[in-house]
Amino acid sequence: MVSFFILVPFLCVLLLNLPWGNLARRLALWVGLGLTAGQAAVSACALAGWIDLRAIPVSPFFKYDLALDTLSIVLLLCSALVFGVALLLSRPLVSQGEQRFNFVCLLLLMLAGTNAVALVRDVFSLYVFIEAVSIVSFILISFNKDQDAFEGAFKYIVLSSMATVLMVLSISLLVLVAGTTSFDGVRAAVAASRHAGVVLGAIGLFLCGLFIKGGLMPFHGWLPDAYTCALNPVSVCLAGIGTKAVGVYTLIRLAYFVFGIDAAVSQAFLLVGAFSIVAGSLAALNQTDYKRLLAYSSISQVGYIILGLGAGTGLGLAAAAFHFFNHAVFKTLLFVNAGALEQKTGLRDMRKLGGLSARMPLTGFSSLIGALSAAGVPPLSGFWSKLLIIIALIGAGYHGYALVAVLASVLTLAYMLAWQRNIFFGPLAAGLENIEEAGWEISGSALLLAVILIGVGIAFPLYLCKLIW
Amino acid sequence: MNSTLLLLPILIPLAAAVIVLGIRRFSTAAGAVALIFTALNLAVTLRLFGQEAYFTGGSAGFGIDFILRLYHFNSLILAAVAFFGFLIALYCQRFLKEKAYAGRFYVYMLASIFCVNGAVLSDNLILFLFFWEGLLITLYTMIALGRAEAYKTAIKAFIIVGVSDLCLMAGLGLTAAIAGTTTLSQIHLALTPASCAACILLIIGAIAKSGSAPFHTWIPDAAVDAPLPFMAFMPASLEKLLGIYFLIRITLDMFAVVPHSSISTLLMSVGAVTIIVAVMMALIQKDYKRLLAYHAVSQVGYMVLGIGTALPIGILGGIFHMLNNSLYKAGLFLTAGAVERQAATTDLARLGGLRRNMPVTCVCFLVTACAISGVPPFNGFFSKELVYAAALERGRIFYLAAVTGSLFTALSFLKLGHAVFFGALPQERQAAKEAPASMLLPMIVIASLCVVLGLGNKSAVEQILAPILSAGAVGHSGGHGMLVLITVAVLVIAVLSHLRQAKIQGGGLKAAAYIYQAPILATIFRWAQRRFFDPYYVVAKILRAGAWILYGCDRLVNWFSDGAVVGVARISGSVIRKAHDGNYATYVAWVLAGTALVVILFITRG
Repeated sequence: MVSFFILVPFLCVLLLNLPWGNLARRLALWVGLGLTAGQAAVSACALAGWIDLRAIPVSPFFKYDLALDTLSIVLLLCSALVFGVALLLSRPLVSQGEQRFNFVCLLLLMLAGTNAVALVRDVFSLYVFIEAVSIVSFILISFNKDQDAFEGAFKYIVLSSMATVLMVLSISLLVLVAGTTSFDGVRAAVAASRHAGVVLGAIGLFLCGLFIKGGLMPFHGWLPDAYTCALNPVSVCLAGIGTKAVGVYTLIRLAYFVFGIDAAVSQAFLLVGAFSIVAGSLAALNQTDYKRLLAYSSISQVGYIILGLGAGTGLGLAAAAFHFFNHAVFKTLLFVNAGALEQKTGLRDMRKLGGLSARMPLTGFSSLIGALSAAGVPPLSGFWSKLLIIIALIGAGYHGYALVAVLASVLTLAYMLAWQRNIFFGPLAAGLENIEEAGWEISGSALLLAVILIGVGIAFPLYLCKLIW
Repeated sequence: MNSTLLLLPILIPLAAAVIVLGIRRFSTAAGAVALIFTALNLAVTLRLFGQEAYFTGGSAGFGIDFILRLYHFNSLILAAVAFFGFLIALYCQRFLKEKAYAGRFYVYMLASIFCVNGAVLSDNLILFLFFWEGLLITLYTMIALGRAEAYKTAIKAFIIVGVSDLCLMAGLGLTAAIAGTTTLSQIHLALTPASCAACILLIIGAIAKSGSAPFHTWIPDAAVDAPLPFMAFMPASLEKLLGIYFLIRITLDMFAVVPHSSISTLLMSVGAVTIIVAVMMALIQKDYKRLLAYHAVSQVGYMVLGIGTALPIGILGGIFHMLNNSLYKAGLFLTAGAVERQAATTDLARLGGLRRNMPVTCVCFLVTACAISGVPPFNGFFSKELVYAAALERGRIFYLAAVTGSLFTALSFLKLGHAVFFGALPQERQAAKEAPASMLLPMIVIASLCVVLGLGNKSAVEQILAPILSAGAVGHSGGHGMLVLITVAVLVIAVLSHLRQAKIQGGGLKAAAYIYQAPILATIFRWAQRRFFDPYYVVAKILRAGAWILYGCDRLVNWFSDGAVVGVARISGSVIRKAHDGNYATYVAWVLAGTALVVILFITRG
């Protein structure tokens, strides 16, 4: 049953590519939307406790062990949400016909990949699906077929291949020690010989590989270019969920459920997280290209998630998972806004923009919600997850890192307000007098995401009870 | 007697104030209404004079009861307030005729009478506080009516009186807590440490209201800034009457202050210091109204000194002096108003020889000046003699202070009279004419009352004032021959000194200069002129210094947060931005370096 999450999108892609003629082209987008809507509904219900996916017996499928817990459901929900929005955005932003059909197919493949990442319980299978998602990402980034897009994709390929080397090396070392690649086997072996150099090296290399995938500083070189050069629907799904599923979710999964958090892992997470937060925010502060600003903001926010993980406690895990969800929502929202801006103005330089709230009220409002949520302003949902991260750090005794997290949130506020003020507030910039609000697909999804941010922020206590297990 | 009559002294001024508020734009009509209602108020208070009554209205719970009590003492105060209210209203008819603020002045004046009557009549601490604080508002608004800069003085007065009223409020709360009741006439406390604190807090409120040092510094400023009728009305009469009335209630009824208690000594010291400090400042003033204002402060010293002795004769002297002072001080301010209106200035250097142009004003001035200087047989002489006798009984030093005060008072009034009404008439004042009748009448009434109270002092003290003291039997000590002799000698010295110095200096204005130019005194006076002794000014200076320090801290923090932090963020941000050169080899190098660091971390920590 659980394997449907992987099989259905995959089969859909196969079916759509049978020679149906024009019918498939026309249907593709709606099939994709239906799929993501269904997945979102199922996983939301599961998260709310109305249906219990875990009660459904898990069966072996192509030798992959699949399993499902709340963390997996969070990822399933996020990917359904983000891919749904990206599909919706492709209607106005990707030209009709062949290109949009390919786009939908690739997105469905990526959905199958991220769902598999959420569900597998085997180190090697995990690696395979990470690569699957990454390869789809390469194609999607270069979808535009221009110089910038190829350059961005190429950087991603180069650094990803390094990640591949590191992960494969690590997996081979783990097989050497454990004799198996299943999570349970690896966990037992690692626990048995914790201090062996081989085990430590294997863990360190795997984490480094995932740091590259997740775009943490200083492993992030590919990320700003890739996010910025890609088409906006691609940026949405990469920033919202793509790199987070392969780089961040996997970190959470492996660190907590396979390797276990010890002093070294915790230290690595704290260092990399704090560095990403501070350096990412500082870099975002100085950008003039709003998509690049969002890209660096993404690095900084992932830093928060990793910092929460570094606390090494149950609360830290819950906080990281909550921030993972929030980040997926508000970063998707902000990239949707960026898509609206680029579609309507054709500009990416914030210095040429200004006062657009007057012309694009829905975009301006939803962007404000997203920006404030990212900056952690109460009562929006971003505030609660950052608060939990800081509480977790203090509870674990990392007062210095908690202070960094608090102070860096000021930087976050600074660059998010710079974004909001330069683009939406103040007097209308010259040449923007005839700008109109983006179409219903874009502004509708932006509003939906803003409502989620507000609603989750207000209904947080209930949510927290469900999240801590 | 119908006890609801007690409501009239409160309701009449209130109704008048409301009516005048409605017609304040028509200053003549407003003035007429104010005059009629103050006359009505005077008639009612004269009807109530000497009676005893008790009125109980509703209760608001928490000890807030609407209880009014009329008895011998406060009926006297009521009548005096009504009398001055009527005279000032009469005086204002012409004085305020051309002033734009006339209508508002009448509103505030009537509201003040309403508050004073309410405070004097109320027999409940909370009710009393309500009316008492109301006076603070009218005080502020009346000063602010004056010239453009007057609001600063108004704020000063508001803060000084407001702070002391806070003490009073705390004192009232403490008193009510100790006594277990809020009914004024049921409070009779012995002096324990706690009740002593309450007593001192109440005394601070009372003497600040009456304008004693060190709470007096707004009065000389207000003399210059505020409308003149305000000076004759509030600091000279109403506030003295109310403040001293309450001081006597504190020391006589609410707390058993006995001679030789510490509170008694404290009060006497405050009184003696007030007499000397204020009168010395009066000596050097070169403005008619400012000089009078310092005397208004100095005279409070005699009352506080007399009441502070806690001897029946001293208290009697204090009350008598309160009445006398209200009379002659109001009279003096009214003559100042007449001179201001007719001669267009109150600067002593530009006045002189007005006795021919304004003979009636001059005579009124002479009578009231003699009264304040304590010349027999005017009223001030007799009340001062009572205070002297009581002060001498408590200590020579207090007596000495009081007599020195008298000497300087006489000197400064010789100087004032000489500078304004005698000597040569300056060229530009030739056209000055006598004031109109409606302004002269109040002055004449007051001056004649000074004479009447002086001549009939024995019956006034025995029949009107003595019943206030429950002790009753007070031997009137007119017979202190020795004291009278000293007083007369002091006056003679003052006159001789003035004549001699006026001849040497060639004018009345500088006749007292030899005192304030004496070696040590000159320095003290210079400091005083620069307001070093003004608590308000000193505190304001300290606060300003504190504000500057805080401002500096704020700038520093601001520089740090807005300059340093932002600068560091900008610079490091641009460094990071420059580091992203778009070359994938750089990024690969970063990844390798990061991986190396993580592996090293794992090996060392693992």
